[in-house]
Amino acid sequence: MSGVFRFLSSVRLAVVLLILIILLSIIGTLIPQGQELSFYQNYLPRVANLIAFLGFNHLYRSPLFLSLVFLFLLNLLFCSVKQLGAKSKRLKSKYGLAFDSSCELESEKIRLKLPKHLKADPNLLIFTLQKKKYQIKTATENDRKIILARRGIPGLFGPEIVHLGLMIIIIGGLVSALLSYRTSITIIEGETAKIPGKNFSLRLDKFTTEYYPNGSVKDWKSSVSVIEDNQVRASALIEVNHPFKYGSLSFYQMSYGQDWEKAAVELEVKTKETPGRRITLKAGEMTKIDQGLTIRVLSFVPDFQIDSAGQVFSRSPDPNNPAALVEIQSEGQPVFSGWVFYLYPDFTRFHRKTRPDLEVTLKKFEAPVFSVLEASSDPGSKLVWIGSALLMLGLLFSFYLPYKELRILVDSSGQVKILPYARKNRDGFLREIEQLLEDLIEK
Amino acid sequence: MNEFAFLLMAFLIYVLVMLLGFISFFNQQTGLRKTFYYLAILGLAFHSISLIIRTIASGHAPFTSMYESISFLAWSCVLAVIIFERKFNLEKTGPYLWLIIVALMALASSPALPKNITPLVPALQSYWLWLHVSVTLIGEAFLAVAFVASLLYLTIQPGSGDKTEAEKKKEKYDLIAYRAVAIGFPLFTLGALVFGMIWASKAWGRYWGWDPKEVWSLITWLFYALYLHTRLIMGWKGKKSAIIAIIGFLSALFTFFGVNYLLRGLHSYV
Ligand code: HEM
Repeated sequence: MSGVFRFLSSVRLAVVLLILIILLSIIGTLIPQGQELSFYQNYLPRVANLIAFLGFNHLYRSPLFLSLVFLFLLNLLFCSVKQLGAKSKRLKSKYGLAFDSSCELESEKIRLKLPKHLKADPNLLIFTLQKKKYQIKTATENDRKIILARRGIPGLFGPEIVHLGLMIIIIGGLVSALLSYRTSITIIEGETAKIPGKNFSLRLDKFTTEYYPNGSVKDWKSSVSVIEDNQVRASALIEVNHPFKYGSLSFYQMSYGQDWEKAAVELEVKTKETPGRRITLKAGEMTKIDQGLTIRVLSFVPDFQIDSAGQVFSRSPDPNNPAALVEIQSEGQPVFSGWVFYLYPDFTRFHRKTRPDLEVTLKKFEAPVFSVLEASSDPGSKLVWIGSALLMLGLLFSFYLPYKELRILVDSSGQVKILPYARKNRDGFLREIEQLLEDLIEK
Repeated sequence: MNEFAFLLMAFLIYVLVMLLGFISFFNQQTGLRKTFYYLAILGLAFHSISLIIRTIASGHAPFTSMYESISFLAWSCVLAVIIFERKFNLEKTGPYLWLIIVALMALASSPALPKNITPLVPALQSYWLWLHVSVTLIGEAFLAVAFVASLLYLTIQPGSGDKTEAEKKKEKYDLIAYRAVAIGFPLFTLGALVFGMIWASKAWGRYWGWDPKEVWSLITWLFYALYLHTRLIMGWKGKKSAIIAIIGFLSALFTFFGVNYLLRGLHSYV
């Protein structure tokens, strides 16, 4: 066995790699991931350069981390090859090979317990073992009789199935990292969005948000149609946790939003002559009202906030404090300008007016709703599911179908020797055999 | 009677079982052992009723808030203790496990954790919530058994008392810990990693995103992989094994509590 093979197949390497991967993973949860380098210079000035050098702003994609994972993959591969070789040798040989003498359980106790009559007739022992679901093989070599009893063969290969599953999962992860496609799509109700890089579009036919009685969101539902060559090819309802698959892409409902820049507001404009006139218009639009007045909505914010420099901005995309900036002109001269608030119609501190009888209130607001979908295709995911199934199967075999083997050697003089073999829980296995022999004596 | 009345009754029974357990340290009677085995089952029954009432009232799985999750974790620990007691006899590990269960119950009933039923955010409305969380927490309950057995292993002084006696005790704790990992590790793998990945792929369109909670589950899992390999192949039974099992469980606890409060990520709602 060459040195490289021995190194790459050693469990010592596995232990070192496990520890290193654990350490790096922990570091990755302590350093905020995916930020701009300037972020680290601001918040972690002492280690910012190190973070940049090691690529730890994307630690799980950094060359260091990936090479450890790759080495781990090789380690798994070589280790499994080695184990498989040894194990299949053991299975194939008629009377067992002492390939791993550390697992051979020469037991003084068992030798002492060998019942006398067994020497003449080991058949009773064989029969008992068969009843305990051991498979029996017999062979004669020279004038020695060898009886091989084994059970739990899946268990012998349990760890290799686990390791194969893991390798497939890791490869699946690498495939995903290289080939997966993800894009976020926002579509306003009634409109169509082209899917980047694909030859079809998605139309949002209807979007609904369902609420609980307390007002929190219960579900988002997008009715969509797939449009290809101007034809509707498929329609579906996408909900959270219920993606829609079309071709190689799956569409996921992520969230929703409102396009406040396209908000429409309804204003009530009072003058001395005409109290209570309602006008509907969009942000940025201007419209004429009588008496030579024109009204304009300069902007709309759903969640009014003003900073220390007097700049107005929206604190959030939610309509917590909707406000519109309104200007009214009379023959080119501004007669009213200021922020009018939906929730606080009497708050006029931001109003400037030259006509005292003018009063503007914000009665309604509406903005087009858009649905936020995530389109993704991930050729690696299938591998991950296959690997996961193997992983679980292998764990089941490893822990619950342990491999057990007994070799009973009877030489020409009738001398009997029992050699038990187990990968683990050896004491338990020895006790089991002792018990078995004791039961035999009683019979 | 409501959810909290049943929870309180379960709590009181658990306290009783714990006290009886510690008392029986000095009084090894099998009769007593049987008594608190059945008491534990009674407590589990009350606790189950409490969880069922909660589930019916809320219409969703009983582990979506801190209060619910801790109560369910305590329930899982009781289940693990009962199964272990039945199959292998926990000996002195038992009362210390009950101490943890009582502590979890106290935490769950503490006024610091809101008990009101809140509706589920859209992403949590999935039957994968049931599978993912319940299997993970039941797995962690078995890992808790390994944790306590390993702690007790470390407390045994080789010098104290009969040498072979101490050795025997240590062997016993070592075996309990290993058997608990042999159950807890596959369950944790299935619940936390496999079901977690399936659900994430259904809800978010990706099975893995290196979110802090995901990474910490992976770290926990890798610690137990380390435990199994150093033990099976490098023969690290005993002290070193016990230390890894302890760190592994602390990592699981951090995944459960710490990540929510100290690190931020997508899993922040539970
Ligand atoms: C996270 C990664 C890994 C996991 C989850 C894993 C899992 C397992 C499990 C469950 C067992 C059976 C343990 C038992 O029955 O007590 C096992 C055994 C084993 N593993 Fe791993 N393993 C991993 C990585 C590795 C690596 C990288 C190597 C490479 C050297 C390795 C080498 C072995 C060997 C030699 C055995 C013993 C096989 C036997 O006794 O038949 N494992 N592994």
